[in-house]
Amino acid sequence: MGSPLDNTEIINILIEEIRETVPELEGQPISASDSMVDLGVNSIERSEVILAAMERLDLKIPMVQLHGPKNIQELADLLLVKSAG
Amino acid sequence: MGPKTFRNWRICSLSKVPDDRVRIAVTGIGVASGLGYGKAAFLQGLFEALGVFSELTRHGREPAGGESPFVGVELDEPPNVLPARLARTATLSSRVAMAVLQEAWQDAGLDQVDPERIGLVVGSSNPMSREQALAAQRYADKLEFVPPRHGHMFLSSDIAGLCSSVLPIRGFSQSVDAASASGSVAVIQAMDAVRSGRVDVCIALGALQDLSGYDLHAMRSLGVMGGADHAARPGEACRPMDLAHNGFIYGEASAALVLMRKDLSMSHNSYGDLIGAGHIADGSRGPEPNSEGQVRAALNALAQAGLTAKQIDFVNGHATGTPQGDFEECRTYHSLELHHARINATKSIVGHGMSAAGALELAAVLLQIKEGRLHPTRNLENPIDESFDWVKAEPVSHEIRHALKFSFGFGGINTALVIAAP
Repeated sequence: MGSPLDNTEIINILIEEIRETVPELEGQPISASDSMVDLGVNSIERSEVILAAMERLDLKIPMVQLHGPKNIQELADLLLVKSAG
Repeated sequence: MGPKTFRNWRICSLSKVPDDRVRIAVTGIGVASGLGYGKAAFLQGLFEALGVFSELTRHGREPAGGESPFVGVELDEPPNVLPARLARTATLSSRVAMAVLQEAWQDAGLDQVDPERIGLVVGSSNPMSREQALAAQRYADKLEFVPPRHGHMFLSSDIAGLCSSVLPIRGFSQSVDAASASGSVAVIQAMDAVRSGRVDVCIALGALQDLSGYDLHAMRSLGVMGGADHAARPGEACRPMDLAHNGFIYGEASAALVLMRKDLSMSHNSYGDLIGAGHIADGSRGPEPNSEGQVRAALNALAQAGLTAKQIDFVNGHATGTPQGDFEECRTYHSLELHHARINATKSIVGHGMSAAGALELAAVLLQIKEGRLHPTRNLENPIDESFDWVKAEPVSHEIRHALKFSFGFGGINTALVIAAP
């Protein structure tokens, strides 16, 4: 990555990957306060979204360390913390 | 020491004719080939012997540097029968399978059947090789990002899984692998499932075998795939049973057939009845054909049907266009004395569908029964054996009463099916 990560960038990438994984959400607004479960993303799709986002962000964080966040905002926060080591 | 016959063995029995009270009708067909999606395009293309061969251009089928491009047949994008969310997790083989299944399902009116009485057998052999190879390349140096869906979507069982998650199939589902006889073995397994009473309806599906560049190179090296000298004239490469044959030519394909207990199918349109099947191992490991095994499969199928070879009026060959395979198959026709029967080769028009071939070509047989006509054998200009009654460049009218369909696969697999007009 050329510049340090920020939350907004991570949130935007997560939302793009959610839309890629669940095309049926087209036209429906998605915000950082939404949880993937409430958006209808299943557990395999959640992993798909996170792995695809991490690939784009060049982050290598074990999935087991990414349980717990209640919405997209919290997930972005956690990714940011973990990426800082 | 000479070959042992059955009677040398201390424990032996000749295969018995099974209980034939359960006669099986084919009441639904769905097809995909280079001729298009659906029965109408398939029939028209077969009778007109359309030319659909060209250079293979699908990503992942590029030839090695300096080698001539591969020649064959590639499908158009399948119709959208899946929700976008599922389609993005399904391989080409699975998406095409859903398209042919949907056509066959509607054709047979399966919405009226108890889902627990419907089974599904998918004939497939290494079905997603090209896409899996591309995925392995893409993630070669970043395995930590491999998408979770790749843990199931490249399994051959994923085709049956996807099909039964979209359509109400709740009897059983499975995949069977018999190399290029997979489609035919799926039909035979489906026949057994109906005959045994396990289900009343069983769908046999020949899955698209999505060959990678690696597979194509290996087939070329093995000496079984032709076309290396035909890049400029791809339409002339595929020539089963012709003196100028020099190997099979790949053709993407898939087909689904709905098999139903005849006594339950009275209100359904029937294309024909499956009245005999033979499926034997000849003891070969690799690609070598074996006429004795082919004859034994045919005799088993005829015995089950209660017929002799004399009563067969139409033969649809396995007929791939490999010199050794074609000659060996003609030896089989001689042994069975099939000189009186009309013979054609569907692969001459659509190429070799590999694991789909047996199912697609059975669909071709059934549609020819219904039409009362036989499709031409493309490029059959100088037959390797003039003593047989080949259908050459022109279609012919022919009322089929009893057809014999051969399908063979690497690994010594020989199958034969006997089909009767409804």
